[in-house]
Amino acid sequence: MGDSLGHLWSGFGVALSLKNLGLCLIGCLWGTVVGVLPGLGPLAGMALLLPLTFGLDPAGAVIMLAGIFYGAMYGGSTTSILLRVPGEAASIVTCIDGHEMAKNGRGGAALTIAALGSFVGGTLSIVGLMLAAPMLAEAMLKVGPAAEAVLMAMALTVVAFVSSGPPIKTALMILVGLALGTVGLDQLTASPRFMFGSLELVDGLSFVALAIGLFGISELLMSLDERLSARPKTPTLAELAPTRAELAEAAPAVLRGSGIGFVFGLVPGVSHIVSTFVSYALEKRLSKTPERFGKGAVAGLAGPETANNATTGAAMIPLLVLGIPAIPATAILLSALMVHNVQPGPLLLVERPDVFWGLVASMYVGNAILVLLNVPLVGVFVSLLRTPMAYLAPAVMAICVIGVFSVKASGFDLAVMAAAGVAGYLLRKFGYDVAPLLLAMVIGDRMEVGFRRALTISQGDYGVFLRGEAVQAFLGVLALVLALSLGAKLLGYRRG
Amino acid sequence: MRRLAVFASAFAAASLGLAAPAVAQGNFPSRQITMIVPAPPGGGTDVFGRLLAEIAEADLRQKVVVENRGGAGGTLGVTQMVAGQADGHTIAFVWNSPLTTSPHSLQVLYTPDRYAAVMSIGFSSYTMCVRPDFPADNGQAFLAHLKANPDKYTYGNDGVGGTMQLAAERIFAAAGVKVRAVPFGGAGETARNFLGAHVDIYGGSLPPILPHAQAGRAKCLLLTSADANPALPQAAGLASLGMAGEETVLWWGLIAPARTPRAALDRLEAAFSAAARTERFREAMAAQGATVRVRGAAETAANIRDELEALGKVARALGIERKAQ
Repeated sequence: MGDSLGHLWSGFGVALSLKNLGLCLIGCLWGTVVGVLPGLGPLAGMALLLPLTFGLDPAGAVIMLAGIFYGAMYGGSTTSILLRVPGEAASIVTCIDGHEMAKNGRGGAALTIAALGSFVGGTLSIVGLMLAAPMLAEAMLKVGPAAEAVLMAMALTVVAFVSSGPPIKTALMILVGLALGTVGLDQLTASPRFMFGSLELVDGLSFVALAIGLFGISELLMSLDERLSARPKTPTLAELAPTRAELAEAAPAVLRGSGIGFVFGLVPGVSHIVSTFVSYALEKRLSKTPERFGKGAVAGLAGPETANNATTGAAMIPLLVLGIPAIPATAILLSALMVHNVQPGPLLLVERPDVFWGLVASMYVGNAILVLLNVPLVGVFVSLLRTPMAYLAPAVMAICVIGVFSVKASGFDLAVMAAAGVAGYLLRKFGYDVAPLLLAMVIGDRMEVGFRRALTISQGDYGVFLRGEAVQAFLGVLALVLALSLGAKLLGYRRG
Repeated sequence: MRRLAVFASAFAAASLGLAAPAVAQGNFPSRQITMIVPAPPGGGTDVFGRLLAEIAEADLRQKVVVENRGGAGGTLGVTQMVAGQADGHTIAFVWNSPLTTSPHSLQVLYTPDRYAAVMSIGFSSYTMCVRPDFPADNGQAFLAHLKANPDKYTYGNDGVGGTMQLAAERIFAAAGVKVRAVPFGGAGETARNFLGAHVDIYGGSLPPILPHAQAGRAKCLLLTSADANPALPQAAGLASLGMAGEETVLWWGLIAPARTPRAALDRLEAAFSAAARTERFREAMAAQGATVRVRGAAETAANIRDELEALGKVARALGIERKAQ
């Protein structure tokens, strides 16, 4: 511990040099921009600036790129709250209650709470990274295909909580999501599924295109319908800050969200998305007023927004300790380091302490920069709502198109986005909630692949889903959650 | 040989009744060159392509703009390139998979006739590693132990029908061993599952496993290249096992649409070969465990045809070959 502090001190020496501070600022600014713009996510943002890092030293290169990564997690909430267009995949859940808050005239408060929650979640996850990285990396390795399948099955059971619609409609949306997730070349046998001979569908339906279509484009279509559209109210300057009651409701959700985000961040793959709705479901379960979820509950915004930032510190662990990126964004960090002949992995701490501790320190600095940057920007962003819809809607549409096109330069994806927009509009008019569809699509794919990989390894023995420390830990948590909710139900009956 | 090729392509163009755009020596390139990289930004191929483009720009005296068109294992980008204008200003920097591997499992819309090889820059071997308690310490003992225990062990690879799997199965078939394949989403995922003891054998590129081999957590015993690699002294090259002919490596090269004028192809070959031979590029390749080995147009084209055929045999034996519709 004392040792860590000493190293951290020297890390701040690296991070606070004028050049690295500047690079951190550039990364955070650019990250905020790509986070705010729908479609453009941290991945595209980092890839765009990657060539610029070739001329930097390795510490400066990762400091800047990491800044984009966690900066995007801050920016992602802005359009979700104000326009119900998810800025990136981890902000889908934020659309639900965040946008409702904006409609109630609490948009400024929502943005401020998102920024503060992001700061707490991001900072706590760096503390976790700093104190326990090697130990957590070993724990992470215990999560194999079987454990991943069990975890995803758990996640699927909580998707239902995200929706406030009738259960039968939610179940239908989950089924459609699971079905859409099967499109593409099967990852275990290479057989085509629902591809209709098109190479465009080999990798499956584009998640970004569907998300932007189902949320963003459908929202724009809804706004054309005068009877349905409730424009978010523009708050006055005095209404920008969260009230004491709102902060009191947010605080415990932020702390729980930090824990959930950090733990899920250790699980490779789609953890940043999963963590957001697990947090949402938990807040809804614990809330004394679950009926307010979906209508602008502060905890339903604060928990998930914190959780997606708390995954960032955890996601760095496998990269830095094992040299293995667990998500695409950290794969770009790996590329940047390798160009400079720095090999992350077990020897990084010994060979390049300046890179490791410089990065850790810069993440503290960056999170501070981001909260200082984002809170004053709240007023600017909120004033966007004063723009008449006649100007705002085409601009948002253009940004959505550019964002989706930037992912793969695919015209096909734009068609998917447009179709998803119309489908989303119709679904929402008939009272279906589209969030469970998207979440089920992501989870179903991972669950199926994990399930079949585990059975390939075990040669068809289903006992593989009961063995192993990670599997048993996840099953234990599942049992606990079920027991608690059953207990709550019984108590509830007695109370009633 | 070169002259013969010039005559042959001129003859081919004439006999097809297609007048190739006149490209006099010296006035190519006349505008910016678009280099399609059929992978998302940020990966090894993208980094190599961008660096190569940057170095070659000075020689070509034109901008070389990288355009990432990822998806479907690189085949979407190649499809886009072969449909491009055949005047030398549209090229693609590719790794071998969309050319020699994917056509066996995907219904790609191109054949080797649709593109011309410009040159190739170098390669990176795949390796197979086991954990320290595995009862073999060299390549020969590794294969012998696998042979004595058919279907007992599992190996992780980069994806079903991918180059790594076909490279491994090609060796397994030649050595008469049977190992159960577990496809993962990439070498990083394979490395994680190997280190966590979920699969027995790591199969994939060098960089993810190298630090763990150095730290004693992995024993790398076999390479899919003919030659050994100084970074992994314990791993046997195929030549030392008498299987040099079964080499399958990950390699990178430049292709252009078919019917691109010979003069433009020659100009591109010269500029990019010189770029690949620079110290700066060599270092970037070495940092990712890859080796520079510049090959010209004819040699690269022959390599593509041989590899396409050899991997086709492996894919058919595995039963993952696409069904004709």
